[in-house]
Amino acid sequence: MKIANASLFACSALAFSLMVGCKAGGENQGLEYAPQMYHSVAYEPLTQIKDEAQGSWLSTREDGKGEFFNSNVYNPHGMNMREPVSNTVPRNKQGYLPHRLLQFELEKAALIPNPVTSSEEILKDGEKLYLQYCNACHGKGGEGDGKAGEVIGGVANLKGGAYVNLPEGHIFHVITKGKGRMGAHGSQIPAESRWKIVHYVKQVIQGQAAATVAESTAVATENPAK
Amino acid sequence: MLSNRSLVGIRLSFQTLAVLFFMAMGVSAYAADPSVVNSDEAIAAGKAVFNANCKTCHKLDQKYIGPALRGATDRNSAAWVKTWIANSQAVIASGDAYAVALYKEYNNSVMPSYAFLSDAELDGLLSYIEYGDKVDPAAASAALASGGDGVGSATSGIPSEYLTIIIGVLVFILILILIVLGLIVNVLTKYIYKQDMDADDKEYISQKIDFGKLLKSDAVVIIVTTLVVAFVAKTAIDGLYSIGVQQGYAPAQPIAFSHALHAGQYEIACQYCHTGVEIGKSANIPSANICMNCHTHIQNVGGKEGISPEIQKIYNAVDTNQPIEWVRVHNLPDLAYFNHAQHVAVGGVECQTCHGPIQEMEVVGQHSTLTMGWCIDCHRQTEIATEGNVYYDKLVQLHATSKDALKVKDIGGLECAKCHY
Repeated sequence: MKIANASLFACSALAFSLMVGCKAGGENQGLEYAPQMYHSVAYEPLTQIKDEAQGSWLSTREDGKGEFFNSNVYNPHGMNMREPVSNTVPRNKQGYLPHRLLQFELEKAALIPNPVTSSEEILKDGEKLYLQYCNACHGKGGEGDGKAGEVIGGVANLKGGAYVNLPEGHIFHVITKGKGRMGAHGSQIPAESRWKIVHYVKQVIQGQAAATVAESTAVATENPAK
Repeated sequence: MLSNRSLVGIRLSFQTLAVLFFMAMGVSAYAADPSVVNSDEAIAAGKAVFNANCKTCHKLDQKYIGPALRGATDRNSAAWVKTWIANSQAVIASGDAYAVALYKEYNNSVMPSYAFLSDAELDGLLSYIEYGDKVDPAAASAALASGGDGVGSATSGIPSEYLTIIIGVLVFILILILIVLGLIVNVLTKYIYKQDMDADDKEYISQKIDFGKLLKSDAVVIIVTTLVVAFVAKTAIDGLYSIGVQQGYAPAQPIAFSHALHAGQYEIACQYCHTGVEIGKSANIPSANICMNCHTHIQNVGGKEGISPEIQKIYNAVDTNQPIEWVRVHNLPDLAYFNHAQHVAVGGVECQTCHGPIQEMEVVGQHSTLTMGWCIDCHRQTEIATEGNVYYDKLVQLHATSKDALKVKDIGGLECAKCHY
């Protein structure tokens, strides 16, 4: 009886301490089952383990590094991502070329026609995109009264006289490159989505008819005036 | 000679700046251009123009993005102000000393051209700027005081201090009752001992519980053993199930970024920063340039002066071109494939469905278990939004004979190779 009791007590204490240690929380990531199946061998986006010793206790790697080491030693900061080769452009479905006008070249930008043909669906997409990317500053109605915009200050009232008659190319350019206190959003929003936002701003927020579609949208370049 | 001239120029502009500064200080002591009308209609008309065009950058009595406007026609003539509003860049280009100094003072920020405003609109605007919405200091302080009163009277119900006192009194009364009861028991026992009793009664009264015997009784041993075994088994099973589950993992990040502040208070959409979520496998951690869209201007939290040490870290990262090494919170095992775009763009799943109330989290932690059972549960229950998506047309046709709605499980949502390959 005594031995049974004692062993029971020991077992429970052991199990308790082990099991509490498994559970994740705060800084503790918890235990992993079969860690070799958890950690990617190939480079993973947003996963970068720079510590060469990590996972060396189960490593079978030929280079002698830890099993979990996962960063590219040839890139700056050991990053897994590289910037595109200079003087190359990404290909995309729409055949858009990069927008190469400089920030101050607003007059040239104003001449660019909207390559996306407006439709109810496009406007719906535009609304969704507007709420995602513009709403925080420009507000739902475009009056410059978004919650973040109030803190930043100086947010354009898209319905105000200074902005209401701006051409579509101008709006696209300002979203891409920024203007005044507004930052450049070209890296965040794909070109096609930016043009959809332009449609939404023009037609729904500013209440104007769609601009006459450019004669040739077949050669849709982001920047015909290069 | 040239350098001399430029030096003079600098001194001149400094003087103008100084003049400007003193003017700004003495806002109350100005005389508006006499051509500006002080009438209610003009002010009302001007207010509408102001709200539509000016208010995002200007305030009447406070410096904001641009200067405080009241007294503009004192500092310059009404005609000058009108030309400035119509095209400030042209005035600056003409070399007007005041204009150039003003432009410099506000870090060369460009005021858009308002040439579309008619002369009548401008007249109204000037009336509003000079005479509209005047803040009477006495009235303002009175309003503040009454506002304070309102807050005081608005708090209804019992204040917490009173509650504590009431609870204290109740506890005191209870203790008193206990003492009194104890005394009564004592008195009664003494009284019983004084009475004549037979042996049975005496034994009954003076009996003591033998704890040692009780502990060793079979019933107690069995009950305790069962409880201990059940407890250990439960802990063991729970513990084993938590292996590989990182629910609750909430590591400290290199910058104390608060989702509660950004996504909650300022209502910035998740996609504004996590740009990849609808177009790729990963939702993406924003690069510092996205932070800088706002933090070029917002340098501290809650409108405080100076630069917050946390925001300074973004500036350092940008200046030195060093990536910010955020700690990944959600680590789905490599053995399972998950694609954000598929779930968010196509499936229309809200971020919060899996990530929990992110907009309330100061430090982000893993909300869901991310186990296979958790995935499968959702795939069993979730109906597919097939409307307006041609891809599903054939599947809907094939499924038409079934009584149940078309769910993820019906289109291969439970297939092993869908996620494990």
